[in-house]
Amino acid sequence: MARAKIKRGSTNVDMTAMCDVAFLLLTFFILAAKFKPSEAIEVVTPASVSNKHAPQKDYFNVTISKDNKVFIDMDDAMKGDVLDELGKERNIQFSDADKKAFQLATFVGVPLNQLSSFLKLTPEQLGKMTLPGIPYDSTNNQVLAWITAAVQANQGKVANFLIKGDNASKYTTFKSVIDAFKKNEIFKYNLVTNAEDVPQGSELYKKNMMSPAKSE
Amino acid sequence: MAEMEVKQGGHKKGPGVKKSKKQSTRVDLTPMVDLGFLLITFFIFTTTMAQPTSMNLNMPKDTDKPDENTKVKESGSLTLMLGKGNVIYYYYGSDPATMQTTGYKDVRNIILEKKKKTPAEDFFVIIKPDKDATYKNAVNILDEMNINDVSRYAMVDPTADEYNKIQLTEQAAGVK
Repeated sequence: MARAKIKRGSTNVDMTAMCDVAFLLLTFFILAAKFKPSEAIEVVTPASVSNKHAPQKDYFNVTISKDNKVFIDMDDAMKGDVLDELGKERNIQFSDADKKAFQLATFVGVPLNQLSSFLKLTPEQLGKMTLPGIPYDSTNNQVLAWITAAVQANQGKVANFLIKGDNASKYTTFKSVIDAFKKNEIFKYNLVTNAEDVPQGSELYKKNMMSPAKSE
Repeated sequence: MAEMEVKQGGHKKGPGVKKSKKQSTRVDLTPMVDLGFLLITFFIFTTTMAQPTSMNLNMPKDTDKPDENTKVKESGSLTLMLGKGNVIYYYYGSDPATMQTTGYKDVRNIILEKKKKTPAEDFFVIIKPDKDATYKNAVNILDEMNINDVSRYAMVDPTADEYNKIQLTEQAAGVK
């Protein structure tokens, strides 16, 4: 008797399509990932057990580099009239071009008298330069001036004051920055650090174990 | 895509020539897909992990009035002075003469020991980073306060006497 022959289908699946999708996604994620804005100032932050994320909104950041230079940057939403306030305080006239450039600038790393030429620099030029930093000595404390201007320009706003210091920077620099903040009645800071695990068996570890919800 | 069409037949070979079997050009893409997804997973995870954390620091308001200053019981105080070259000098109470030397790894035991010995409401750690201490030292010691659950601590400058003593000790120990 003739039997109908059932054709055995191959169990091999064509992986080509799946492979295409995988790599398409890979390419997409790599390209879509926001690149860290190339930082002109290289800072290696110390580690801490804190598990709170550094605020990314309404921040005013003071960076201390490893050679104890101080740089300032702030959230775009905070920039507003900072330059006007600074001009008022120091009797400097800033041109409209300067103000526009300041809105686009990622950070400030020069004394006030070099500010307009600094704002004209392109990011490529910035990368090549060694920046002098903002002076913070007691006779000409411009870090203090910047903080005051930022506070004046953003009255009523809850700002996060970040301090991002390099491992190798001196404590005295950090103290000068803190003192400048203190003069503006700001006593709460966030120190930017790298996350680190809580050492096992330590008091904090036990505390977290007892009430995990409280650790947040 | 990964296969190529191979024409069958065509020219005939002579009688003595063996017909070679045509190998398939199909490549198994499974490992490649695996690798692709592995990379995707890796990139997704690493991008979210990179966010820096921040440590909260609250400083008190400076005051000149002596009655507004924090009072510390001598019996419950531990002073840690942060010196050059990742060295900590510490003493109990108010006598800097009894200063001892330690490092950042062993300081935890010293804090814990003192904490156990003193009543919780008297325990107070005074942190005095000197001119040669780095920012890392300061953050590390503040972190140590968190780790050991020390609720009362203060950061102040060392007195001139204490600084001199640190200098002398450093010279004697040859710390550069």
